[in-house]
Amino acid sequence: MREGALPAGLRQTASNRPGQAQPVPTRDIPLRPWVRIGTCVFFAVALLLAGWEWNARRNLGLRAGDIGDSPQAWAEARRAADTSQVAIVGDSRILFDTDQARFEALTGVRPTQVAFVGTNSRTLLEHFANDPKFHGLLLVGMADTMYFGMPVIGVGGPAVHNYAKNDKPSQLTGLWIDRWLQKYFAFMDAEYRLSNLTNRGLDHGWRKKVDSPYEDVWKISETFPGRQYFMWNRIETDAYLRGHARHAWDGFNGPNIPPALANKVIARTAEAVRRIRDRGGDVIFIRPPSAPELRVNEQRRIPKALGWDRLLVGANAKGIHADDLPQAQKLVLPEFSHLSRKCATVFTDAYVRRLIELTPRLKLRADAPAPLSRTDCVPQNIASL
Amino acid sequence: MIFNSLTFLVFFAIVMALHYAPFFSWHQKKINLMIASYLFYAAWNPPFVILLWISTVVDWWAAQWMVRAKQDRTRKIWMLISVCVNLGMLGFFKYGGFLLNNFVAIAGSVGVIYHPPGWDIILPVGISFYTFATLSYTLDVYLRRSKPAGSFLNYALFVTFFPHLVAGPIMRPTELVPQFDEPRQAKANQIFFGLALLTLGLFQKVVLADGFLAPVVEAVYDAPGKMPGMLDSWVATLAFAGQIFCDFAGYSTSAIGVALCLGFAMPDNFRFPYGAVGFSDFWRRWHITLSCWLRDYLYIPLGGNRHGPARTYAALMGTMLLGGLWHGANWTFVVWGGLHGLYLSAERWLRARFTGFTPGRASILGLALLTFLLVNITWVFFRAKTFTAAGTVLTGMAGMQAKPDALIAYGPMMIAMLIVSGIFGTHIAMRNTTLEAVVERTPSVAIAGIWTLLLFAVIIEQGQGSAFIYFAF
Repeated sequence: MREGALPAGLRQTASNRPGQAQPVPTRDIPLRPWVRIGTCVFFAVALLLAGWEWNARRNLGLRAGDIGDSPQAWAEARRAADTSQVAIVGDSRILFDTDQARFEALTGVRPTQVAFVGTNSRTLLEHFANDPKFHGLLLVGMADTMYFGMPVIGVGGPAVHNYAKNDKPSQLTGLWIDRWLQKYFAFMDAEYRLSNLTNRGLDHGWRKKVDSPYEDVWKISETFPGRQYFMWNRIETDAYLRGHARHAWDGFNGPNIPPALANKVIARTAEAVRRIRDRGGDVIFIRPPSAPELRVNEQRRIPKALGWDRLLVGANAKGIHADDLPQAQKLVLPEFSHLSRKCATVFTDAYVRRLIELTPRLKLRADAPAPLSRTDCVPQNIASL
Repeated sequence: MIFNSLTFLVFFAIVMALHYAPFFSWHQKKINLMIASYLFYAAWNPPFVILLWISTVVDWWAAQWMVRAKQDRTRKIWMLISVCVNLGMLGFFKYGGFLLNNFVAIAGSVGVIYHPPGWDIILPVGISFYTFATLSYTLDVYLRRSKPAGSFLNYALFVTFFPHLVAGPIMRPTELVPQFDEPRQAKANQIFFGLALLTLGLFQKVVLADGFLAPVVEAVYDAPGKMPGMLDSWVATLAFAGQIFCDFAGYSTSAIGVALCLGFAMPDNFRFPYGAVGFSDFWRRWHITLSCWLRDYLYIPLGGNRHGPARTYAALMGTMLLGGLWHGANWTFVVWGGLHGLYLSAERWLRARFTGFTPGRASILGLALLTFLLVNITWVFFRAKTFTAAGTVLTGMAGMQAKPDALIAYGPMMIAMLIVSGIFGTHIAMRNTTLEAVVERTPSVAIAGIWTLLLFAVIIEQGQGSAFIYFAF
C-alpha cells in the first residue's frame, strides 16, 4: 500500500507488463482524513435515513412490519406446500382476498399461500401437477381473462422457473435478514425505491403507446408473514392512489378470448387436475369477486358460460364462484379488482364455509367463529368509494 | 453470495472482526480467510465447492511435480494435465450443452437425426475465473516466470480468496501469494478508503446498473416480437454499455475495496474504458486482467507479433474469438469477440499505414467517440440472446425497421442517457489519471458529501440482490 496517490502514469497494470510475472499491485490511498470523513458520512447517512423513514411513515403511509414479497419468499412457501394439507395458487385476487387466519379459525388448517401477483394460475396449477410430492387440496383462484387469455406465465415467471435456485443458503439468509429489518423499517418497500420514485415522478405517460412507469400498478398491498397479502389501507382512504390503481387496470379491457384458446385451456386444466387426483390430491377452483366496472369487460372477453362453467365440466372439478355466495355480494373493492382488508375476511369466511360443503378434506371446527356478512366490512357510507 | 446482498454485509462484518481479532495468529487468520472464502462460495451452491477443491489440488501438485521434473517432456506433461483438468471442467460445465447442441445441428445438416437425452448442467458460478487463476499458476511455473508457492495454505488462499473468487479481477499468483507471507492488516485510513470504494462499487451496481439502466435495456432486448426503431435501439444499446460497465466495474471496485479493508492489494480491472482512443487502448482499459491473461497465455504463445503480419492477425483473431467464447456458450459471444478482433486488426493495419499521424485534441475526442460507437455495435451481440434478436436491434439502429414499435418511456430514457453521458464524459476526462489522484485533489467536505449521497442512494434503492452479469461467465 502507498499513502498518497501515485502521479499519473505511475500506477501500472498488467497491460504495461506483457509476458512477465506480474508483481504485487500497489494500491495508493489518497491523502485524506478518511477516518474523519467516514465517521461524518456515517452520521450524515444515519440522519438522512431517519428523515427518509419519517417521510415514509408520515407522508407515504408505509408501515414497519410490511415485509414484502420476493421470489425467495415464494420459493419458501412453495417448498412448504409440498407437505401442506391445503395450498392456494392463483393471481393477486386470491392472494389479497384470502385471510389465512380466518381460514385457520374456521377449519383448523392454515393454507400455504403460493399465489403470485400478475401470474396465470393455470401455469401454477400445472406446476403443481408436475410435482409428485403434492397430495393435498389445491385451491386455484382465478381471474378469468388471465386464466383463459394469457399465453405466458406472467410476473411470477422468474420466481417459478428459478424456484430450485432460490433456496440456496445465501438466498435464505438474505430473506431472513430482510424480514428482520422490515419489521423495524417502513421505508424498505420495493415500490418506493429510488429508481421507481424517480421514474414515476419524471414520466407521466409522455410517449404514446409505451407503458410508462406512471401508468404501472403502484403499491396496492401490504404483506405479512406467511405471504399474507392485504389491500394497503391507503388505497381505501386515499382517493388519488385509489383512482390511480383503477386507471392502471384499464378496465381489464382487451380482445375477446377465442373459443379455440378457451378449449385448449380447459383441456390442459383437465389434464392437470387428473394428474393431481391420480396422486391422491384434489383441486377446487375459486373465482373471487370483481367490481361491475371490470366485470362487464371480463364477461365480454370470456363469458362465464363459456369459461368458468365449461371449465368445471371439462375438468370434472368443483368450483366456488363469487356470484354464488350470498354473503359475498356487494363487498368493497376499492380499486375494482381486490377486496378491502375487512371484506377479504368476509369473503374468506364465505368461501371456506362453502369449501367445507364441497370437500371432505376440511371440517368446520366446533369452536369456529360465527359467520360474517357484508355488514361486517362495508362502511356506513360507501359513496366515497 | 454477492456483494450487493444483506448476507454479504453480515458475512463481511464477521470476517473483519475475525481478521482484526488480536488473539489469532497470522497463520490462523489465513485459515479463517480460507474457510470464509469457501463459505462465500458454498453460499451459492454447496456441492460445487468440490470443483474449486479439485482445481486447487490438481494445480498445486502439477506445479510441484513440474519443478521436480528432470526432463522438459515431463514438465510439459504436468502442464498439460493441469490445462486438461481445468479446461475440461470448464468445457463440461460451461460448454457441454453448447457443444452437444452444435453436434446435433451439424449431424442434422448432413442428414443424421440425433435426439440426445435432456442435459441440464448447472454452470458453477465463477468457474471461468478461478480456473484461469489456477491455470496462470501452473503456466507461470511452466514458463519459468515464477516458482511454486512455498505453502499450500498460501496457494489455496490465493485460489479461493473471496473478493476475487467469482468474478475477478483474475489475479496471478505472483500478485497475491506474496501478500500472504507477512501479516496484513489495514490501517484505519485504508479501511475507510476501502469502504468508500465498496460504496462506489455498490452504487454503480445497485443504483446505476440495476435501478436505472437495466429496465431500459430489458424494454428492448427482452421484448419478444417487438421491432424497436432507431431511437429505442440506440438508447437500449447505449444503456447496456452503461449497464455492463457499471455492473462489472462496480463488482471490481467493490472487490478492490473489500480486499483493501482486509489489508490486501488487488489490481485495477478497469481504467475508464469508454475514454479509449482505438481498440488496443480499449483492451488496455476494459477487463484488464482478462485481456492481459489472454495476451500472456494465448496471444504470445500463438506467436504474438513476432512472426510477421499474417501470423499476428491470426493470433489476434484467434485470441479474440476464444476470448468471446470465454464469456458464454453462445455463438453471439464469439461474434462479439470476432468483431473486436477485426477492429484490432484494422487498427493495426491503419497504424502501419499512417505512422506519422498525430491526432490533435479534437481528433482524439472524435476518435474516442468513434471507438465508443463501434464498441456499442459489439455490445448488441453481447446482450442479444440470439442472432435474430441482434439482427432486430441492429436493423433498428440503422433506422431500417418498417414499422417500429416504441418501447421505452421518455422519463427512464432521459435518465439512462444522462447516466451514459456522465459515464462517457467522466471516462474522457479521467483517461489519463486515476480515481485516487482526483480524490486526493478534492476537498474532504466534497468527498464526504459525495460518499454520503452514494451510500444513501444505495440504501434507499434497496436493491433486489440481483447477480452481477459476469457471474454468468
